[in-house]
Amino acid sequence: MVDWAGWAVFGLVATTLLTCVMIAAQMAGLTRLDLPLLLGTIVTPDPDRARLAGFFIHLIMGQVFALGYAAVFALLGRATWWLGAVLGLIHVTISLTALVPMLAGTHPRMASYRAGPSSRAVLEPPGLLALNYGIQTPVVAIAAHLLYGVALGLLLGPR
Amino acid sequence: MWQQAMTGDPPPIEEYGLVGDTRTAALVAADGAIDWLCVPSFDGEPVFARLVGGPAAGVFRLGPAAPAAMASRRYRRDCATLETTWACTRGRLTLTDAMVAEVGGKLLPTTLLVRQLSAADAPIQATMHFEPTFDDRRVRPRVEHRGGVVFCRWRGIVLSLEAGPGVPVEPGRPVTVEVVPGQPLTVVLCIADREPLVHVAPIAARAALEADEREWRRWCQAITDELPRREQVVRSLLTLRLLTYSPTGAPVAAVTTSLPEHLGGVRNWDYRYAWPRDASIGIGSFLGVGKHEEARRFMAWLLSATRLDRPRLPVLLNLHGRRPRAEREIPGWPGYAHSTPVRTGNGAVNQRQLDGYGWVLDAAWLLTRAGWPLFGETWRAMAGFADTIATQWRQPDAGIWEVRGDQAHHVHSKLMAWLALDRALRIAAMRRTSPRRIRRWQQQRDAIAAEVRERGFNERLGSYTRSYGSNDLDAALLLLPLLEIEPAGSPRVRGTIEAIRRVLGAGAGLVYRYPPGQDGLPGTEGAFLACSFWLVQALARTGQRREASELFDLLLGLAGPLGLYAEQVDPVSLHALGNFPQALTHATLVQAALALRDAERGDQSGSIGRL
Repeated sequence: MVDWAGWAVFGLVATTLLTCVMIAAQMAGLTRLDLPLLLGTIVTPDPDRARLAGFFIHLIMGQVFALGYAAVFALLGRATWWLGAVLGLIHVTISLTALVPMLAGTHPRMASYRAGPSSRAVLEPPGLLALNYGIQTPVVAIAAHLLYGVALGLLLGPR
Repeated sequence: MWQQAMTGDPPPIEEYGLVGDTRTAALVAADGAIDWLCVPSFDGEPVFARLVGGPAAGVFRLGPAAPAAMASRRYRRDCATLETTWACTRGRLTLTDAMVAEVGGKLLPTTLLVRQLSAADAPIQATMHFEPTFDDRRVRPRVEHRGGVVFCRWRGIVLSLEAGPGVPVEPGRPVTVEVVPGQPLTVVLCIADREPLVHVAPIAARAALEADEREWRRWCQAITDELPRREQVVRSLLTLRLLTYSPTGAPVAAVTTSLPEHLGGVRNWDYRYAWPRDASIGIGSFLGVGKHEEARRFMAWLLSATRLDRPRLPVLLNLHGRRPRAEREIPGWPGYAHSTPVRTGNGAVNQRQLDGYGWVLDAAWLLTRAGWPLFGETWRAMAGFADTIATQWRQPDAGIWEVRGDQAHHVHSKLMAWLALDRALRIAAMRRTSPRRIRRWQQQRDAIAAEVRERGFNERLGSYTRSYGSNDLDAALLLLPLLEIEPAGSPRVRGTIEAIRRVLGAGAGLVYRYPPGQDGLPGTEGAFLACSFWLVQALARTGQRREASELFDLLLGLAGPLGLYAEQVDPVSLHALGNFPQALTHATLVQAALALRDAERGDQSGSIGRL
């Protein structure tokens, strides 16, 4: 049985943690991957406004992913930090190899490797493992998603 | 190829034509040989590299089978399509070369090169030599024939070539075909890198090319009409656009690596990277001709690419904003005209260059002045650069010319540091900025001006000098009248311009960037074309409009037959030297044209980006 109350509260907590790690890594110059900016520029070209909009879009997405975690925990009948970490690893692998690269084909302001002179996109494509946003991007993303999974594993565990 | 076979010399650099798709580009020799093409991007794997890699390094030639005189060579007006016509014994043979730039949203390969041979008057024997190679060791690819198409595979890269029915293509083996009037031979090269190959038939490739030509014409029509020598300026703008990597907006400095600044010498560098300085100059050039979108894209690239280094401004970046690979020499490559070593990577990445901050902040000011207020993040980045320069301007640097091991107090770098703070203050006046920060910038800006006036000027020469206490001159100081640190007509400014013309002048309107040979490397180098275009700007700015106009015309005459420029020109032979075609030269050409236009109008509003 999915812990709905836990999902509603702790999904937000875990997503906020993940976002904080990503922003801190970006501020420290480790990566240019800026998830709120990437998501927010779907709705506005102004980076500052985009970050605000993107933050909320990311929160919603984090909640959706947290639902998947909660469902797996319910199916397995247990929620532990290490199980959360395993799910976090699966999550980040899918994100870096499929979801983020796919943005290049669907995001209205992100160019693709096939962009030509008429392209008005201003965001560069992330490339495999989002390496175009800095060589340390995969490490940062893995750390952030591990934290996300561990947090959900701990918080959605037996109370 | 017969040209090389007969003389043993490579074609002059300026005779190469550029065809590109804004992701990569090929250089086509006058005999129809593609001697340089990297895939899938400008800084990717060279598949045809005979230009610097020697005869075994890959070539793709289409042209007359027997030696034939060149009848004409030109770009189609306002297009990136190159046409070469030979007068053969029995008639004329024309080769049309182009790459398809707009492949987004269409089932086309990312790299699509279309070459077409057509004959006039009589059937003409033509030859095709397709020989791609890969890696430093020039490895031949795995070849496979299927349905009249030849596929060449090497690691993640696959090339497909189709030359129509009855033309047996075998990589590495030249074939002779007869081109009949009214039945052009279309050859289509499709390239994929780590993605499924989309092979398109010749008829579909021609249609894509025609659509592309319409797009280029539309792009050129949007350029302002009020330009002196508009046709040449438009060619430079088109070249600048072809040298802009569309997926990220990065301005690549040149298509090539290791074309020599001195024939047979060691000044051979890899320019397949992006310098923030070039992006900034590009912003001024595109804004000045009404192409605001291109200018804004350069600023967006600057913002994104510098993210990891801020508030420090990196000297150069790869096309994706990452640090370029370490500089190394390719063993065994003979170089262009025996100019070795051939290098990949660029060691200048490790230098400290202070002038870049001035270029970037001037570009931000230009955008602001043109009615594009900076986004909050852009301004924070620019203010961070201003803070950095306010702290670091007293330190020596490598200077704009990237001379290795030559850390000095370059006067040009100090002037650009002054410019950075001056432009930051101008933008700050239009935004909310802390008074303390503004006071600091003002103090440092004034301190720079005072120090440069005291230590950077040589009374005996009557000129500002290359570095503090030096007796050498620096042609980068031709930007002085554009900065407004001193009145453009002041004796010191005029004295500097005159001294540079006298001491660094190389004849024919050309200027050396510094006294030749004074960079610690053996041999010498050519005259630096961007400096000559800066001289045009300086003359226009100091009221010598007629002289500026005459010099501009003289310089236009030094372009290659297709209107393209390398970095340098040999003042004696007038042949091009250095990497080709070079974005900086073309951007300064555009700015010289804008300076002449503005002088004509009596507009003297200051900026190095657009006078």
